[in-house]
Parts: sequence; C-alpha cells; structure tokens
Amino acid sequence: MTYEIQPIETSASPRPRLIQMPAVEPPKPTVAQAKEAADQAQAKVEIKDLRFYYKAYEALKGINLTLHDKRVTAFIGPSGCGKSTLLRVLNRIYELYPDQRATGEVLVDGQDILDPRQDLNLLRARIGMVFQKPTPFPMSIYDNVAFGVRLYERLGPRRLDERVEEALRRAALWDEVKDKLRESGLSLSGGQQQRLCIARAVAVKPEILLLDEPASALDPISTQRIEELIADLKSDYCIVIVTHNMQQAARSSDYTAFMYLGQMIEFDTTETIFTHPKERQTEDYITGRFG
Amino acid sequence: MEARSHGPAALTAVGLAPHAMRRQRLGDTLFRGLTQSFAIGVLLLLGAVIAALAAGSVTAFQKFGLGFLVSETWNPVKEVFGALPAIYGTVVTSLIAMLLAVPVAFGIAVFLTELCPRALRRPIGVLVELLAAIPSVIYGVWGLFVMAPVLQTTLQPALIDTLGNVPIVGALFSGAPYGLGILTAGLILAVMVLPFVAAVTRDVFMTVPAMLRESAYGMGATTAEVVRAIVIPHSRIGIVGGVMLGLGRALGETMAVTFVIGNNHHITASLLAPGTTISATLANEFTEAVSDTYTSSLIALGLILFVITFIVLGAANFLLWRLSAKDGA
Amino acid sequence: MNIYARRRATNFAILSLSLLATAAGLLVLFLILWSLLRHGVPALSLAFFSQSTPAPGNVGGMINAIYGSAVMTVVATLVGAPVGILTGTYLAEFSRGSHLAQVVRFINDILLSAPSIVVGLFVYEVMVVRMGHFSAWAGAASLTIIFVPVVVRTTENMLVLVPASLREAAVALGAPRWKVVVMVVYRAAVQGVLTGVILAVARVAGESAPLLFTALNNQFWSTDMNAPMANLPVVIFQFALSPYADWQLLAWGGALLITLTILGLNIFARLMASWSSFSK
Repeated sequence: MTYEIQPIETSASPRPRLIQMPAVEPPKPTVAQAKEAADQAQAKVEIKDLRFYYKAYEALKGINLTLHDKRVTAFIGPSGCGKSTLLRVLNRIYELYPDQRATGEVLVDGQDILDPRQDLNLLRARIGMVFQKPTPFPMSIYDNVAFGVRLYERLGPRRLDERVEEALRRAALWDEVKDKLRESGLSLSGGQQQRLCIARAVAVKPEILLLDEPASALDPISTQRIEELIADLKSDYCIVIVTHNMQQAARSSDYTAFMYLGQMIEFDTTETIFTHPKERQTEDYITGRFG
Repeated sequence: MEARSHGPAALTAVGLAPHAMRRQRLGDTLFRGLTQSFAIGVLLLLGAVIAALAAGSVTAFQKFGLGFLVSETWNPVKEVFGALPAIYGTVVTSLIAMLLAVPVAFGIAVFLTELCPRALRRPIGVLVELLAAIPSVIYGVWGLFVMAPVLQTTLQPALIDTLGNVPIVGALFSGAPYGLGILTAGLILAVMVLPFVAAVTRDVFMTVPAMLRESAYGMGATTAEVVRAIVIPHSRIGIVGGVMLGLGRALGETMAVTFVIGNNHHITASLLAPGTTISATLANEFTEAVSDTYTSSLIALGLILFVITFIVLGAANFLLWRLSAKDGA
Repeated sequence: MNIYARRRATNFAILSLSLLATAAGLLVLFLILWSLLRHGVPALSLAFFSQSTPAPGNVGGMINAIYGSAVMTVVATLVGAPVGILTGTYLAEFSRGSHLAQVVRFINDILLSAPSIVVGLFVYEVMVVRMGHFSAWAGAASLTIIFVPVVVRTTENMLVLVPASLREAAVALGAPRWKVVVMVVYRAAVQGVLTGVILAVARVAGESAPLLFTALNNQFWSTDMNAPMANLPVVIFQFALSPYADWQLLAWGGALLITLTILGLNIFARLMASWSSFSK
C-alpha cells in the first residue's frame, strides 16, 4: 500500500458534518420521472418480515423491502441501525459465524434464499459483494480477478484473459494495471485495491452487487471514481449500497432506505427521501439534526 | 456455462454448473473431515499415551501396590522398587528451579516491558527466547563440565561454611561439596525454565492496557510503583499460569538433569548430595532394565511423571486460557 | 529523607535489579555459547564430518550421527508438518468454538510441554516392543509426536491473524470453505505457518530423551530405518558422560554443531515471521 488509508466517515461519527447536506446535489430526475422509472424497474429482491439475531439480540426487527433490478438502492442510518446487517443477510455471509441467524423471507426472483436447502456457494456466486476496506487476496492482480471465475467455469486461457480484461475495464482499472497483471494485488493503492475488488466481484457476472460502505476508507478522488463506477454498473445489476455519507447516497442511488435501531423507518425514491421525507426521524437524520 | 439462467431454478443449483457445485461441496466435506480427523487424532494420541503407560505399569503396581509411591527402596538386584526417591528428587529440583528462576524471570519481564529502550526490546527478547531453544543435552554438557566444577569450588563450600552451621536449615547444606547433586540440577533447571517464565510473564504484562499504565504514570507514579500497583495486580492470574508452565517444564526435564544429578536412589536431607529424578532414572536405567518387573517399575515412574505434569500444565493452561478469554471479550 | 526521595530510591533499586536479572540471563547465554565455541571448535575437523563414531582411542567423526539426526528430523517433518497444519486449520477455520476444538486445544497445549521422555516410553511400548527391536522409524515416530503440537499451536495462531474480511471476501464470491482456506487463508499466512514448522524442526533436532529408547544409538554408519540409528543428541549424551577425552571432545563438537544449527533455525524463523504480512 502506498499511502495511509484515511477513513472519510468513521462509523463512530455519522452525525456532525452532515449539516449543510442537500446543498450539493447533481441534477436529479423530476419526481414524475423517478416514479416512472420505478414503475419500469422490475422487483429483484423482496424482503418479508426479516428478523436477525446476534445470539439473543434482535438486530433487525421485521424488515419489509423491495429491491429493484438495474437500480441502485442505498441503505442509510446511524451506526448500529442494522444497515450492514441487512446487506449481509442478502448473501447469507453471516452464516460464517455460529451465533448469527435470520428468520423471515428473502425472495430473489421469487425464490426464498433463507431456505436451509439453498446452496450458499451458488447464492454467493450470484450475489457479489464489496467490503468497507479493500480485501485483495495475497495473489496477483490477474489471479484476484480470475479467482471467482475459476470456481465455477472452465474457461480456456484466452476466454479467461478476456473475462479478466472485461472485468478490469468495467472497474475502470484496466489502463492502470494492464502492464502489471502478474504483480501482487497488495501492491496497488487503496483506491485501486477497491476497484480491483469490484472487478473481482463483477468478473463472475453476478446479478446483484452488494456494496458495504465501499468508499469509506478511500480518499475523495478514489471515492469519486467508485461513484462513477456505480453509475456505470447500474445498467446491468441490481445494486445495493450501504453508506454513511449522505451526499453519496443522494448522488448515486435511485432508492433510499432509512433505517434506525433495526427497523426500516422509511423507504422511497432517493428524490423523495431527500426532499420530502414523510417521517420526522428521516428528516432529522438527513439534515443532521438527529439525536 | 457462461450465460446464467435467471429463472427461479437457478437458485437451487440447476442453472449453473451443477458438476462444479457438487465438486465444491464434496471438497468442503472432505477437507473439513480431514482436518477434523487429525484434530481427533491429537486427542486419541493423549489417550493412547496414558493407556500405554498404564498398561506397561500394571506389573509394578500389582507387585508393589500403592506402596510403590511411598517406598524408598530401589534395588534392581532384588527387584524391589519404590518411587519415592525419584518423586522427591523431581519435586525438590523443580522447586529449587522455580525459586531461583521466577524472581529473575520477573526482573527480565519488568525490564523488557517498562525499562528497555523500544529499539532493544525485540533483540533482547529474542536472545532470552534463544536460551529456551538450546537443547536440553547441551545444558547437560555445560552443567557437567563448566558449571558443576565451579560450584564445587565456590558456591558449595561457601554454603557449607555459612548456612551449613545454622540449626535446622543446616541439614540442607551439610556434607561434602560433590559438585553434582540436587542443588546443581535445580540450578541448571532454573536456567532452562527462566526463558519460558520470562516470556510468558512479559506477554502477560503486555496485556495491561496502555491507558491504565499511562494514567498511573500521569499521577506521578514511578515505574516501580506502576509495576506494583497496576501491572502485577492486573496480570496476577497470567503470572501464576506462566510460573506453573515453567514448573511443568522443570518437572519433566530429562537430559540436563541426568548429567548433573548424580544418580543416587537415596533420599538425603542435604541439597548438596546426589539424588535422582523420575526422568533421570528413566534415561539412565531404561535400556539396562532386563526383567519385566524392572521395566514395568520404570514405566510406572513415567506414568507418575506424566500425571504430575498433566495436572500442573493443565492448571497452567487453564489459568492462561481464562486470561486470554477475558482479554478477547 | 523525604517521601519523594525514598520513592525514587526504591524505584532505582527495583529497576536496577530488573536490569541485573536481564544481564544475568544474557550472561548465561553467552557463557554457554562461549564454552561451546572454546571446546567445540577444536573438534571440528575433516574427520568429524566424514567418519563415523570411533571406538575410544581411534580417530573418528560424527557423520553417522549427523545423518541419523537429519533423516529422523526430516521424517518427523514430512509427517508432522501436514498433520499439525491440518489440525491447526481445523481449530482456526472449522471448529466454530465447538467443545471438540476446546478440548483439542487444551490437550495440544499440554502435549506441547509434556515431558519428552514420556513420549519415548510411549513409542517404546507401542513400537519397539511390538517390532522386537529399536529402530530409526521408532525414533522418527517419537520426534513426530513432539513435532505436531508445536505446529498445531503456531498454525492456529497464524491463521487466526488473517483478517476475517479476507475470508468474507472469498466466501462472498461463492468459494467453498476449503478453497477459501487453501487458496486465500494459507497464502496469506504462509510465512507464519512456515515459521511454526521451522521452530518445530529446531525443537525436535535437539531432542535426545525420546530417542534414548527408540532409535537408541549405533556406532556404525547405517541407513537402515529398521535398525538402531545414531543421532547427535544421544551420541553427545553418551560421549560426554564417557571417561575418554577423545569422545568428550567429539561430544563438544557435536554440541556446538547442533546448537548453532538450532539457534540459526530459530533466528531464521523469527526473521521469516517478521516478513509476514499480518504480524501485527
């Protein structure tokens, strides 16, 4: 790593610097356009009465939510509200830990993925995930991207090369690494590492992409590149992003879900959430008056 | 295979490379099973050790009963055996070792955590750990040829002339300076367990939160006061665990002791006299034991040693484990 | 003397004692090394490395013992390293805090410090008695039993140091657990795990107690694993305790050789650990 990672938004302090928040907003579609777009979007994931437990502690208290295909949905809310937990239910990564369990239904294309018979490896191959901190594997850049592809597909060397290049191009990293594909993934800068992780996730051609505060450990320029990337990837995937950063949610998502203390307080188009929130708590949070 | 079906069926592994899926799942089961079977193997190994030693010592216990544990006789010619001299020597040498090693180890730990310049901490720590890496047989050679003659001409006569004349305690330091004997074995053991106790104590001292330490320093406490009032109370359990770990090592140590203990199956009050330990008896006599009773008695000694060290090490690990569990929470 | 002066004096006294303790520890290390060099270097001749152990009064060397130690250590490594690594993997990756794992961890920590001579007794009972004779195989087996717990402990410690996020990332790509472990976790922890293996090699290379009644000793050159085999520690033990000056000299030479090897391995292992990507 060539520079220190400086978290922009640490999880300990979601509140203070959001006060002048909605000032910088890119041109957004009008409410009518957004509604129209929403109607066109297909439901990809339907979450019904989802509850989640760490041992006896109930971290999610009956979540109901629909995620649309080819749209970006942002989960926002203060630390500990359950937004990351909700994300981690969608690919059942929580099953790595013995004390965690979920009840309810999560329908992906109508199929309940919480079903015990659901094959977890296959589920995760279909649902990509990018984490808060870059997690390059201790292997070459090329092998990092090819890792997931090799798990489930037998591609010839040339087809595999194409897949790796395609994924790196989609992650806007190709030009920076095309001459050093054999170098260690750990040799890249923090922002490059995170894009490498995105390339690794899209290389397996998932249907859903889960991003858990993907830019929180990055500098502003890298953050901007990641956001551009999200906008570009949206055309192909159902994207879910957890973020602490209000501007980021406003800039890059179509829908926003505001969560608080394990409950889904409000879910609507991002436009609506940031301009006419229905709930008092939502308004307090996005304007930084939360307390 | 590249295109993925998007129907509901895909989620139950029909759509995508079912062979690959099955292979992966099989790999998971196999790999997990493999690692688990080796883990169980470690358990079985311990069981097998105890079972083999118990089976081997049946003859001895049948012949001598539990009296084996308290009998002082060790007569290979008449085939009468008792474990007491060896047990006594094992315990006494180990106690001497701990008495000498613990304060020094403590000093080293304090030096390494509180006093040593940061840049020297690692090198000095490594040097102390290297002391633990030197093989037992080397300590034996060194103890026999270098340390024992020096003790014979300096420390031992001095002890005889001074403490030897004190009532009661004098019995411990009476007799002639042989050079070899219980005290020498205890000294060598002290050097050998020193690095273990020092390393564990240092590691335990390190677990004291920096904030606690700093707040004590912030009130104007001296380094010695911080150690006494903050570091030691905070790491009490760990220190006891470390000391017992060292004790477990000392009890079972073989080669170094065998070189310098003198191999004498009589219990003598004087620490300067030759004695024996369980492990030294085994090392010296096992290959020479011809009769079943003799062999079985030696294996019974091994079983006793294993049981004693098992209890001591078990207690040590329990204490250290509780500490790390608390630490992790 | 006022309170403050007394406190400072106490502090000075205690810190001086701790400095003294450290100096004493290091002094012993250097005394031992100095003795080894002084007595051992004269023994290291060409014959030392080319001839087998002699009868008293004859010229000879340690080559049979060097070979025996090397062979038995290699066998112990080839068997013990995979067993230890897989057991450590179970504890770190698959046990999920199960009771089995806790018991195995506890037992392993005891085996780690258990008296090595008892291991020799055990192998004598189950191998030597059954085979009817001492053998290099039996010696290698007892070294293996000592080897495994060291590797189990270090492997588990090193795998636990690998960040959970790396496992999650691999799992999130649909990788089954065994591939996560083999392709990602092992790669991330390779230096640490190898460090443990080297430390275990250093540990068993100097063990003599478990070889006394398993491999025994052999005055002659032998490569037969089914027969008694010479090895450095046991030869050192016997020669040092013998009354013959030339045997004692060879023992010093062997002691120097084995100590330098083991300290070298230890230092190398520590260097290796410090290259590891996740050591704090």
